[in-house]
Amino acid sequence: MGEPTSGFAFLEHTADIGIRAWGTSLPDAFERAGVGLATLMGTTATPPGRTIPIHVEGADPGGLLVAFLDELVYRCETTEGEGLASLRITRLDPASLDAVAEFAPMSEAGEGLVVKAATYHQLDVSERPDGTAEVRVYLDV
Amino acid sequence: MEPERIDEYEWRVPIGTVEGMRVPGIVFGSEDLMRKAVDDRAVLQVANVATLPGIVGASYAMPDIHWGYGFPIGGVAAFDADAGGVISPGGVGFDIACGVRLLRTELSWKPEVRPRIHELVAALGHATPRGTGAGGRLRLTRGEVLCVLRDGVGFALERGIGTPADAELCEDEGVLRDAVPDEVSERALTRGAGQLGSLGAGNHFLEVQVVQEILEPGAANVMGLFIGQVCVMIHCGSRGLGHQVCTDHLAVMDRVMRPLGIHVPDRQLACVPLDHEAAQRYLGAMNAAANYARANRHVLTDGVRTCFETVFERSARDLGVNLVYDVAHNLAKLEEHEVDGRRLTLCVHRKGATRAFGPNHPSLPNAYRAIGQPVLIPGSMGTASFVLVGAAGAERKSFASTCHGAGRALSRTQARKRIGGHELARQLEEQGIVLAPGSPKLLAEEAPFAYKDVEEVVRSCEGAGLTKTVAKLRPVGVVKG
Repeated sequence: MGEPTSGFAFLEHTADIGIRAWGTSLPDAFERAGVGLATLMGTTATPPGRTIPIHVEGADPGGLLVAFLDELVYRCETTEGEGLASLRITRLDPASLDAVAEFAPMSEAGEGLVVKAATYHQLDVSERPDGTAEVRVYLDV
Repeated sequence: MEPERIDEYEWRVPIGTVEGMRVPGIVFGSEDLMRKAVDDRAVLQVANVATLPGIVGASYAMPDIHWGYGFPIGGVAAFDADAGGVISPGGVGFDIACGVRLLRTELSWKPEVRPRIHELVAALGHATPRGTGAGGRLRLTRGEVLCVLRDGVGFALERGIGTPADAELCEDEGVLRDAVPDEVSERALTRGAGQLGSLGAGNHFLEVQVVQEILEPGAANVMGLFIGQVCVMIHCGSRGLGHQVCTDHLAVMDRVMRPLGIHVPDRQLACVPLDHEAAQRYLGAMNAAANYARANRHVLTDGVRTCFETVFERSARDLGVNLVYDVAHNLAKLEEHEVDGRRLTLCVHRKGATRAFGPNHPSLPNAYRAIGQPVLIPGSMGTASFVLVGAAGAERKSFASTCHGAGRALSRTQARKRIGGHELARQLEEQGIVLAPGSPKLLAEEAPFAYKDVEEVVRSCEGAGLTKTVAKLRPVGVVKG
């Protein structure tokens, strides 16, 4: 049995933790990584909620992924009592992306880690010829 | 990779271990700890740091070294601005000025505190915001956050929280005057507004401890420590504000570095020359975040004093709840050091390493000048913590640096696989350690066996001539982040 076409998994690291995320396209893989992050932080919720537009820039796809996840760390930490309910990337080019994040009230405080930030350590963003994509990023927890 | 033995507690990672090393690596520690560092790939990170421009002496690793991201945790690296030396936010880490403070009391475990320990830990658990997104003891306006960033501990003193001795006995007297609050982003200010006086999570904690053993009676006496004494140790940092400062400036350096022709073996080592505008801006913001971290531990101290007053029905002053010392273990500082007979001003990065000035250093508070700088080493949960002092030889050996803790040995998942949180809580209670309620899952991730043996780490630091061991404290009550 193979892996589902999109998803995320956590990676072992002595002190910290990584996320491997994959999808049918690069935006899909980025979205999975974002959901993985919110899951790790214990800040997920069920729609409906309010939507927040996100725009981030980066020097390259890796830098863009780090900036995107750092944006979500900030949002998840500062939207008190709310969690990420959905995440959709509406535009992605190598140096910037636009996304819509939906935040909804959490039923109870999730059991999660304090994620300090995404790091550039062993950062990897790969797109395959068939359009599918996979990313790897380590987080400081 | 096989480091070469220099002596019992010192190992050399020769130039050439990775391409572009400008200086060798030096790993301090017993053979067992050094082997763990090699297996963990942390020694490769020591070698990577040795490639950075302007590095002086060696890329050092303390005995509690473990795999980090970019820099190893337990790494020390000094850079000379006049030789193209750099500053790297990754060499400080996201939790800027994360550190430890120790409070002593005039109370003894027996007979005074033991009968009240459950009550005391429950009160401390209640008074100490912790975990994800926890609001702090103080909620600040934007303007007040800027004051904290400028004044550090002084911000709280002006509002009647704490005593002047709390600033005097803090590293840098509680405030870095070179802080530039204007270099801290609006996002960081937003995160800082709600979190002053909170622990955070992960390995951060507040513990009630008992002095179990004194190894340097002279120094212990100067610090006011005695056998059987009840102390409180607080381990935490600059919270979301510090994380955001690092995030913001790391992104800038990642962009700025490449046109400058600086290439690093791991992108998380992003750095710029110290005389570059981006470096100066980061330094100002980092110092501001360090002021926030000191103020954070100070405000948590206020909660501790209130709890002791409530439980023991005497004033904190009467109970002698006083600061022993407060020192960071994630910071970069401009310091003077002697290198090959020349006095140089160096930017010393300590990431998971503690500054350890020896006796008579001018930066020390008067009270501690004769004994050397106190160094506070938190154990992992359920194990001993230590008070050390900087040894005279540390300046020559490691730019006056030593370890910061036990150092992780197992990942969080590995720890959880070995034990459940409820079972661990039961085991700790059996050992006579009272726990304030928290998350069982996160508790398991911090299980003592997930860390290296702190006693071996401390022994290695003493063996390497970095620090002398003054006192050993055992935990009796734990409030976990």
